[in-house]
Amino acid sequence: MTIDELRARAAERQQTCSQIKKMIVSRLDLEIEPDWITDDQPLFGRGLELDSLDVLELYVAIEAEFGVALYDSEMSVFGSVSRLADEVNPALRATA
Amino acid sequence: MASVLASIHPEDTVYGEVGDATVPLRFSSLTEEYGVLRERAALLDLSGHRLIEITGPAAVDFAQRLLARDVEYLTSDRCMMSLVLDESGQVVDQVVAFGREDGILLESSCGAGTRLLEHLQARKEDGVEVTDRSGDLTALGLEGPYSWGVVGRLIDGELASLPFESVVDTTWDDVEIVFARTGLTGEYGYQMIVPVEAAAGLWQRSLEHAQAAGLDALELAMLEVRQPIPRHEATPGATVVEIGANWLVDITKDEFVGRDAVVEAFENGGGRRTVGFTGCTGVPAPGTRVQAGGQDVGEIVYAVHSVGLDATLGLARVEQDLAAAGLELSVGGMPVTTLTSPYVVPKSWGIPII
Repeated sequence: MTIDELRARAAERQQTCSQIKKMIVSRLDLEIEPDWITDDQPLFGRGLELDSLDVLELYVAIEAEFGVALYDSEMSVFGSVSRLADEVNPALRATA
Repeated sequence: MASVLASIHPEDTVYGEVGDATVPLRFSSLTEEYGVLRERAALLDLSGHRLIEITGPAAVDFAQRLLARDVEYLTSDRCMMSLVLDESGQVVDQVVAFGREDGILLESSCGAGTRLLEHLQARKEDGVEVTDRSGDLTALGLEGPYSWGVVGRLIDGELASLPFESVVDTTWDDVEIVFARTGLTGEYGYQMIVPVEAAAGLWQRSLEHAQAAGLDALELAMLEVRQPIPRHEATPGATVVEIGANWLVDITKDEFVGRDAVVEAFENGGGRRTVGFTGCTGVPAPGTRVQAGGQDVGEIVYAVHSVGLDATLGLARVEQDLAAAGLELSVGGMPVTTLTSPYVVPKSWGIPII
């Protein structure tokens, strides 16, 4: 794969991650800029320090924004923004 | 600084020099200790983590200025992890700050205590006392999906289900200890800060319910959940943003040492980013070049053999527009694949505390 193709593939994931970060910041009224959240940082407990109520809010937000229902998913889908990106954009998961 | 528990560790314990500390790397084998940490309950000798007390009427203001996260209202029943930066935004250390009635207690990362202490002493102000407590206090850790059960058998079952980063002053065997729900590996984790003279007794009693694990297993499990390890990741010149440790910095805080440099690095937007990878044969050394499509795009930060993945696992620092999971890159001529964090899902995420 050429470097341009690799950059295009990375851009697709980064775009999905960016969309998720904006959604998290907006829905949870966080005071940080979305890009301050890194793709790999933990979301619950450590990291962004979200709690179980935040999870419920995110379930609703993800379904509204991406049309993906995660209600029965394992908590591991919230392991990081990038992991969440795999769920809301399955095309990424095929390569991750 | 030798472990205060060295005299009771088995003779065949493998020690290593990590910064200013001599710490147990392995008590048995990495595979066995990793298995204990990920499947049951591991007991950790954290005596390589220096304990530094900040007291005095200006203690909280001082800590608030020196730590990158907000500790102004850190009460004595809470702790938090934070970076400590220098004026140029470089990482001095990653600490756990414990709120105390008379100030704040800092726990350094492994082997970084001298550097942290010197950094604090050099910036000390009137009304602040900075005291190294490592001569009379030490820390033991418990990590694992069933470490909560050990807490119940050892001290009090109710402590096991404390919220994350809660702290309780309690007693063990009539000895006053500081007990905290912490965690570095994604598994249930706890720390006990105990007087040095009681540490051997608590260690031996803990071994009746848990198995000792050394730094090798702990750091591997930390890497697998992308918990920053400053001694590996804070390479000279790397910014907080390049390291990916943003979450250990409160960018909304008005002022702290290093803030301007961090904000500048963030707003500039350029530079490299850190991404996990697996693949290749063997473990590439830090600094090994990383290629994409035949072009040089970065370097290896560090890598190990992951027992959980049964493969090489590492971090690479690459050009920002290539720092994403799911890419086929090349390290030393061998293919690697970038990964989504966490690289290994902790068992604790699927096990409730009963």
